[in-house]
Amino acid sequence: MKILLETNKNAGIVALTGLDLGKTIGLMYHMYTNGVIVTVRTEVPKKKPKIQTITDLIPGAQFHEREVADLFGVIFEGHPNPARLVLPDDWPDNLYPLRKDAKIDEALAKNETAPSKAEPTPAQNEGDLVNIIIGPQHPALLEPEKFSLKVDGEIVKQVEPRIGYVHRGIEKAAEQRTYLQDVYLVERICGICNSCHAACFVETVEKILGVEVPLRAQYLRTIILELNRLHSHMLLLGHAGLEIGYETLFQYMWRDREPVMDLTELLTGNRVISSAMTVGGVRRDLQETDVPKIKTRMATLNKKMDFYHKLFENEPSLKMRTQNVGVLSKEDALKLCVVGPVARGSGVAIDVRKDEPYEAYGEIPFNMITRDEGDSWARLIVRLDEVNESINIIDYALDHMPSGPFRIKVPRVVTAGEAVNHVEAPRGELFYYVKSQGTAYPERVKVRTPTFANIPAFIKIAEGGNIADVPPSFVSLDPCFSCTDR
Amino acid sequence: MIKELLSQLFKKPATSKYPFVKAEVPEGFRGKQVYDANLCISCGLCSRDCPAKAIEMVEVDGKRSPLFHLDLCVFCYQCAESCPRNAIKSSEFFELAAINKSDLVLKPEGNAQKGKCEQQ
Ligand code: SF4
Ligand code: SF4
Repeated sequence: MKILLETNKNAGIVALTGLDLGKTIGLMYHMYTNGVIVTVRTEVPKKKPKIQTITDLIPGAQFHEREVADLFGVIFEGHPNPARLVLPDDWPDNLYPLRKDAKIDEALAKNETAPSKAEPTPAQNEGDLVNIIIGPQHPALLEPEKFSLKVDGEIVKQVEPRIGYVHRGIEKAAEQRTYLQDVYLVERICGICNSCHAACFVETVEKILGVEVPLRAQYLRTIILELNRLHSHMLLLGHAGLEIGYETLFQYMWRDREPVMDLTELLTGNRVISSAMTVGGVRRDLQETDVPKIKTRMATLNKKMDFYHKLFENEPSLKMRTQNVGVLSKEDALKLCVVGPVARGSGVAIDVRKDEPYEAYGEIPFNMITRDEGDSWARLIVRLDEVNESINIIDYALDHMPSGPFRIKVPRVVTAGEAVNHVEAPRGELFYYVKSQGTAYPERVKVRTPTFANIPAFIKIAEGGNIADVPPSFVSLDPCFSCTDR
Repeated sequence: MIKELLSQLFKKPATSKYPFVKAEVPEGFRGKQVYDANLCISCGLCSRDCPAKAIEMVEVDGKRSPLFHLDLCVFCYQCAESCPRNAIKSSEFFELAAINKSDLVLKPEGNAQKGKCEQQ
């Protein structure tokens, strides 16, 4: 691991997968170097699951290690803050839900709880610092997560995030459903980037199966994924307006987002949860009559985006709240292994669509948008520019749509094997690991969502800023907590 | 911004007048299921594949038929896809709000779908 990090300055951790192997617990460190994922494997005995932490090498691994500690009971020696991350503080000790022998039903029946391990936030303030707690009731977007701030006057000195308020145990649930049912399950990890989850999962399963989906299906998937990105980015840009007190922007942006939702409905049968992906292709073909409808709406949207571009470039109130606020330097972005528009806003050129093209992205010309400023404004502008790129991608895909089948038949039982896969979701790189034992049920499904990787960066962003800037700079990360917690 | 504001001033509101004007959904919308008892061969595939476990197989007039719990259903339409006889079809009916959960049960009685929503 050290060698890997020394030879490549840009390497970072993508995910840390735990795996119950019977007598031992497997640990897989999925590392990202030059656009490919390298996996380092190790095992620890179940009886004495101890291993050295890697947070001293990669600070970005903090959250990953805490998650595995919660769900598998692995102790990471030397971890700076080994507190619970995704499980509730009164979850019974020695019950690690993702171990295969975890008797969760028994514990549930006994209504077993342990005394809470949460340290009560001291009421008295330490020295000059005042404790302020934001959340768990919607700190930014309408989802629960808690941030404890220590402030000195108006200035934030320290941030301590606590996630897990909407942990639903989807990784465990996925082990109890068939691959077919899991497509719909993982789609519901996140309402906004639902297609990305489904696409990433089906691609992983296709990798294990060794099947190639038809070209037409790849193009259709690309269109659906880009529609997903469009409505997600526009939602966020509108929401950023709301958080900085610019509600007109919010209203206009969401009005213009509506046609994108309608197109998703037209194409897939539902506005939000598209349920369009399936192992082997897409579930529904594109009707020829729909093509002009999509094209005209994309053209209108393109014109509208000019207006927003001018607005973001020129509107003084918007710029005052976002420029030079919440700066994340390129070095920090690399160290904390951030992904997606947050990384690109800090000048780190990573985009899975370019680095390891999946679906039709290898054939479609588009630009990767990066900005060097690293402030909230840069992160918003990256998304604004990406909206235009997405429109172009959809246009191109419609013009070059190959003919042929849109899905192929695949067996329900997936051959034994394992695969990792990543796609570029609107919030950044989304990572899946699936292991199959040769049955209709997966042995393990691991999901690393983009916000999970980006939250550690928020600590860096908020520290040293004003309290009033916390919500706007937080929103500029485009946090999604139901993804984060799973 | 001012220009956009002024141009919007004389336009009609962007919001639609639902429920006074019925909202249109595109063809192929995944609304309430329509079950055709005549086509069904009681194979139970729909129930097996349903990711939300929303389909219960019940005995109606001596025939095993699917009973849809619409309060559990996530409207993915895997059931329609799995059905070998196309006995489950989609409808554009989406106004499914009900006061009781029991109103959200689609009973397979000779294709007569009873539900409060439809009586309204
Ligand atoms: S639409 Fe999906 S969730 Fe609803 S009954 Fe059919 S398979 Fe089950
Ligand atoms: S899958 Fe179709 S034929 Fe089989 S039980 Fe269900 S509705 Fe009837």
